[in-house]
Amino acid sequence: MLGNEALVRGCLEAGVSYVSQYPGTPTSDIGEYFHQVLIDSPETREFLIHHWAVNEAVATSSCAGAAWTGCRSLNPMKHVGLNVASDALSVIALNGPNPGAMVVSIGSDPGSLGSHQEQNERFYAWMLHLPTFEPHTPQECKDWIKLAFELSEKYDLVMNFRMSTRSAHSRGFVKLEPLVKGKAKGEFIRNIPKFNSLPPHAINNHIRLYERIEKLREAIPSLGVNKIIPGENKIGIITSGMPFGYTMEALNQLNLNDVPVLKLGMIYPLNYEEIVDFIEKLEKVIIIEELEPFLEMKIAEIAHDHKINVEIIGEQYFPKYNEFSTGLVATCLANIFNKPPNEQMKKAIDYFNSYKEIIPSRFPTFCSGCPERATLYAILKATNHLENTIISGDIGCYVMSFFPPQQCSDLVICMSGGISAAIGMSTKTDQKVIAMIGDSTFFHTGMAPLAEAVGYNSNVLLIIFENSWTAMTGHQNDVLRYLLNKGFSIEDICKAIGVSWLRVEDSYKPKKLVKSIEEALETDGFKVIIIKRECGLQAHRWRMDQIRGLEREGKKVQDVSYFIGGCQMCYECARVLSCPAIRRVETDGIEEMQIDQDRCIRCGVCYEICPNGAIRKSIINLFAEEVPFREL
Amino acid sequence: MSFKETDIINIVIAGTAGQGVITLKRLIEFASQKAGVKRNFGSEMHGLAQREGAISSHTRYQKELFEDDRKNLYSPLICYGDADLYICFEPIEALRRGLFASNKTSFVLNSRTIPGIMITANLESYPSLEKIKEILNGYSNEVYFMNATELSLNNFNTNQYVNLIMLGFAIPTSKIPFIEIEHYEEVIKEWLRDPDSNIKALHLGLEKGKKIINSAN
Ligand SMILES: Cc1ncc(C[n+]2csc(CCOP(=O)(O)OP(=O)(O)O)c2C)c(N)n1
Ligand code: SF4
Ligand code: SF4
Repeated sequence: MLGNEALVRGCLEAGVSYVSQYPGTPTSDIGEYFHQVLIDSPETREFLIHHWAVNEAVATSSCAGAAWTGCRSLNPMKHVGLNVASDALSVIALNGPNPGAMVVSIGSDPGSLGSHQEQNERFYAWMLHLPTFEPHTPQECKDWIKLAFELSEKYDLVMNFRMSTRSAHSRGFVKLEPLVKGKAKGEFIRNIPKFNSLPPHAINNHIRLYERIEKLREAIPSLGVNKIIPGENKIGIITSGMPFGYTMEALNQLNLNDVPVLKLGMIYPLNYEEIVDFIEKLEKVIIIEELEPFLEMKIAEIAHDHKINVEIIGEQYFPKYNEFSTGLVATCLANIFNKPPNEQMKKAIDYFNSYKEIIPSRFPTFCSGCPERATLYAILKATNHLENTIISGDIGCYVMSFFPPQQCSDLVICMSGGISAAIGMSTKTDQKVIAMIGDSTFFHTGMAPLAEAVGYNSNVLLIIFENSWTAMTGHQNDVLRYLLNKGFSIEDICKAIGVSWLRVEDSYKPKKLVKSIEEALETDGFKVIIIKRECGLQAHRWRMDQIRGLEREGKKVQDVSYFIGGCQMCYECARVLSCPAIRRVETDGIEEMQIDQDRCIRCGVCYEICPNGAIRKSIINLFAEEVPFREL
Repeated sequence: MSFKETDIINIVIAGTAGQGVITLKRLIEFASQKAGVKRNFGSEMHGLAQREGAISSHTRYQKELFEDDRKNLYSPLICYGDADLYICFEPIEALRRGLFASNKTSFVLNSRTIPGIMITANLESYPSLEKIKEILNGYSNEVYFMNATELSLNNFNTNQYVNLIMLGFAIPTSKIPFIEIEHYEEVIKEWLRDPDSNIKALHLGLEKGKKIINSAN
């Protein structure tokens, strides 16, 4: 099982009955597994509910609500999600989840493998008093999340189950235990001092929180989540989570198998005796942890408070950024123990460095036929390649537009940071300001800055990508689709908020869109263009399903394709639009562009924009049924 | 080279998004379970929906464990230079993930290139297959190419079977030890849609792979 799969299994063994989350790597697939469970085992629908929330703060408070009726709730989110949820969580943690239980599962992302920033959100554990587990194997993911729910219920604490991109997406064998049916219904019992933390209750709850944490701290040794791998060396290691694995293999490589290792399964709170017992026999303790020193600070403090004469090292030898690996840990340990570096590894690095320059880049980019890419094309055309124009970007697939060749996103802050930054920027520069936002981001936190931009009539053009999916994180079938399917309209919301300059456009009609953008940029004040066009990947899937369905019924359908003949090599499609279905080929010494029929989704944008009329459309079975993309 | 049962087997699978890298990784892992492998720990990349990025995964397993637990498999990531086998669905991806290769590594590569948008835009260049082979030969002599995409297109009219063909191609390198063809077949039957075509693809790759690898040695 994958770490995330095992986590879900653990929840089902723990009788979890409510899950709410906003998607984000590496936690999105947790929700997908829950959905699969609900489909595969219909009996779970009697008690189990999974919500795709509009944002993390909503998800966190809804999980608290469920816990306060006596149920067990899970609240997964990516590390930056915690920034959004922290306001709610600060109160919920104070009040406590009882009579139910609540676990937040944070997907950290050292190495920024699927994020727009890198942060060490472990410090929230101190600030909000979130007892925090850090699993290493999928087995631990399953077993410990179960334990986390028990502890949450027993000590009235919101627990944090800290995954990482690596632990979430590492796979190993898992021994299963029986499933437990969760509570279908609970009951809220009025208890104002507990649930309403206004003064004087805030202080009482804070005092109670310390008491709850101290009780848990005492219980840690009996939980069996921390373990010592013994050894005689006077230098020892304390580590946790994924770095534990790298450490063990690095020690073995360096023939340092006499180094004792304390593996912490719970990184907050720490049990003082447990730490003291381990470090007091040692001369030196190496703390191996990714990102900023968190354990190191606490362990140094414990050593100091208990007057133990031991040297605590870590951050001066290990990087405070990026993900670790066995190779990296081995290199740092070799340095600390004065060992020669591993030859095989050194050779591998040196040889790789000797040729890596020639590797062409392959960054993630928009899919073939993506309507967002086509919009960027129109922006580039309307602004003469961003002349005197700033693009205040945001997070969704369109974030990838900062990559060459389009390079259309000058900045990214956080979800809905783009329109917000544009409001301030537009007051201080005469450059043209274009902000972008996706529909999921719009519902997440975008309506508030929209209202502000209307209020101040900010001189900004806002482009809203209504592609009807939370695409970037893997197309979660969320509230967004539910709302849009119900006829909930972003256009109507904009009108209701008071947007006066408003157009709804389709980026598959790029020429018309260019005109609209030009007009918008010539107009002062706040303007909105909604790009209403389904995500290309999903639209293509849907259309192919329709076509297959019709063919199965024996019906004939139109077979549309685009091909290139008489290419002038102007690079309009390759550099300005840059659809990946187009490739450059050389036949008999003559270069031309060609369309990869496997990858082309037949959006027709290249056909619309080719300045030489070299892209042609062919329709076989002209009089048969036409299957267009679906209208939103 | 023959493996001891306690050896840790390290396999890198690399390609571009949508080529089936993760599916093949899981298939090998499930098959290893059928083969009674004691420990299995590997890592895969998830997250972005888009079809165009570079994707890689690490598969690691150990048939039997050392009595001294410290010597066993602990990390889902392969250490630099420690890979036994590279299965690459796209040739340049072997170089991109090159850090894990060394003189003990065998490479099987799909020779069909997928040039990224920067190549199409003529803003970067794609090295020739000869150049790629030359660089990989700097690691070891066991560098084998097969046009798995073409094989898949010719036999199935789609490129969807590239991953199973590549698995078949990799088997004759003997770098996926302790797992038998039957184990793969069992997993394919239980787990994949259209098992017949997938099994056929596996065997196509295997037959062609044997020829390529034997004729090279
Ligand atoms: C606070 C926070 N939560 C979650 C994410 C993860 N995330 C990145 S992009 C994205 C989806 C954005 O969807 P949308 O705005 O509709 O754009 P699309 O990908 O569909 O183009 C999410 C959820 C994040 N970056 N920040
Ligand atoms: S997933 Fe959809 S929105 Fe995202 S790049 Fe692909 S087509 Fe565009
Ligand atoms: S029609 Fe043109 S732009 Fe659209 S997917 Fe096909 S090649 Fe790309």
